[in-house]
Amino acid sequence: MTDTTKQPANARIEPSKQGYWAGVARDGNKMGFWFVLPTLLLLLFIVIFPLLMQLYLSVTWWTPLEGIPWYRAWEVFSWGENYWFQLTDPRVWGALWRTILIMIIAVPAQFFLGMALAYLFMDNFPGRKVFYSIMLTPMMIVPAVVGLMFFLLFQGTGPVNAHLGLPSTFSWLTDVNRAMISVIIADVWQWTPLMFLILLAGMLGVPSDQLLAARLLGGSNWQNFLKIILPRMKAVIIIALVLRAVECFKIFDLIFIMTKGGPGVQTETISLFLYKQTFGEFEWSYVAAIGLTILFVLSLIAAKGLAYMAKKNG
Amino acid sequence: MKASPSAVALKYFFVLLASAVVLYPLLWMVTMAFKPHPEWTTVAGLTWFPQNPTLQNFEFIFYGEAEGLVVSLDRTISGPLFASLVTSICGTLLAVVTGTLSSYAVVRFGLAKTLPLSVLQLRLFPPLAVMIPVMVMWAFLGAVDTWWGLSLIYGIVTLPFAFWLMKTFFEEVPVEIEDAARVAGCSYWRVFYRITLPIVKPGLATCALFVFILNWSDYLLALLLTQKEWVTLPVYMATLTSAMGGQMYGMKAALGVIAAIPPVIFGLMIQKHLVRGLTFGALKQ
Repeated sequence: MTDTTKQPANARIEPSKQGYWAGVARDGNKMGFWFVLPTLLLLLFIVIFPLLMQLYLSVTWWTPLEGIPWYRAWEVFSWGENYWFQLTDPRVWGALWRTILIMIIAVPAQFFLGMALAYLFMDNFPGRKVFYSIMLTPMMIVPAVVGLMFFLLFQGTGPVNAHLGLPSTFSWLTDVNRAMISVIIADVWQWTPLMFLILLAGMLGVPSDQLLAARLLGGSNWQNFLKIILPRMKAVIIIALVLRAVECFKIFDLIFIMTKGGPGVQTETISLFLYKQTFGEFEWSYVAAIGLTILFVLSLIAAKGLAYMAKKNG
Repeated sequence: MKASPSAVALKYFFVLLASAVVLYPLLWMVTMAFKPHPEWTTVAGLTWFPQNPTLQNFEFIFYGEAEGLVVSLDRTISGPLFASLVTSICGTLLAVVTGTLSSYAVVRFGLAKTLPLSVLQLRLFPPLAVMIPVMVMWAFLGAVDTWWGLSLIYGIVTLPFAFWLMKTFFEEVPVEIEDAARVAGCSYWRVFYRITLPIVKPGLATCALFVFILNWSDYLLALLLTQKEWVTLPVYMATLTSAMGGQMYGMKAALGVIAAIPPVIFGLMIQKHLVRGLTFGALKQ
């Protein structure tokens, strides 16, 4: 009791072991059970059972078109050939590559733009509040609507071509290379604000006395940024990048509305590919297999990442 | 520290530039909603503001027909708008109620220590990678294209946000207050319901608005799990073209504006807590 130095920083949230909370271990658990129950039921409903079903379907040839109910999918057992097939399917690898391409271009772009913006908004200036609200708007707009907005902008007869003095035959969304560029621009437009918001919160969390001291000591703005601000934002930066990377991997709405994955498969990401397999080809067992593989790989990455973070934090 | 005038000017230049970039696509869509057909494209010249402002786009989506338009619509906005509202609200209720209860149990009773991370995992995977069994289940249960089927999945996918957001709000409630109430003879439920809940009320409201925005913004799940009756606003907006043939830019823009308004308003209302919500409570402002 005397040694308080060993208390973790967030000790306040640990229930004190006196009074009310002493009884928690006894009857509080019973009470708490009822609090957790609805969530547990939802999780059971949406995780355990569907996972088993997905595993089951993925080792068959089952599709919803042949009139076999899903529980009799064993009649078309495939010995897991779906798993083998996905490894040699160029469309899977293509979609994966394009997803990663969008990720490695869009996320850093959002990061640097967001960082620059956050730096602009670090100090107070007249009109800051208004501009701050404007900056946040894109990420609050329904992604499908953002897709529509950029769909309209990038039409041959849209304002982008008019401004750039390009003819209306100059296409963006149906061009092999520019379709991808358009999609990335739209994603950057929508999600830079998120980076901005998170990074600004982190930047404002840098102790102002340290910053002031550095300024008084004559460090240039750039030096202060590199030596004082950046190192203290490490955790925030990691959070922002991970969040965006995860969301970027899931990207669907924007692309689906802007290009439908086209022209051809030029903007087809993993999600778009899975959607087309689901509703174009109705190869549901194949989608189940690919989905499970993605699940497995992402979980592995997440587990590794968490373990790494835990190790770093001691 | 006083910044030099040139530095201030530079700052404003960049801030204005960024604002212009943000507003450019928005402005095009918003003005498009009020433009008549000839101004939808730049064929007759680029016009930023409608030369002949009109409400016929809105009229068209609300009544299915409008003056001066030969086409008509067999399905107006009212159905999808209603569907969006009902499913978003029900999904929000489900997520907030279950998330609040379970996060309280985790924070106060120290129960289910692995729950936070397993809940978070729900957000890790692309929905399409895990949707096959869900669609099979939904078909099996007759939940496809029903309000409760869509609400249920909304509640589940936004549960992580509700859970983590409420967790941070509960962690801010001093445990001593609850101790006192407990000592005074309140039952656990009473402590939670009469003491803690009122304290976190602002947080609860924030959480509800935040989750509502997420549900309202969904496109993919509605696309997968609805067909006709309960098609939501974004899906309706996207399918407007295919139903009619020809691009209905103005009507789509009008729909886009309508769909965009609630999240923007709510988002600005809870601006202070956006960081917390979006980072699952890892960061506070």
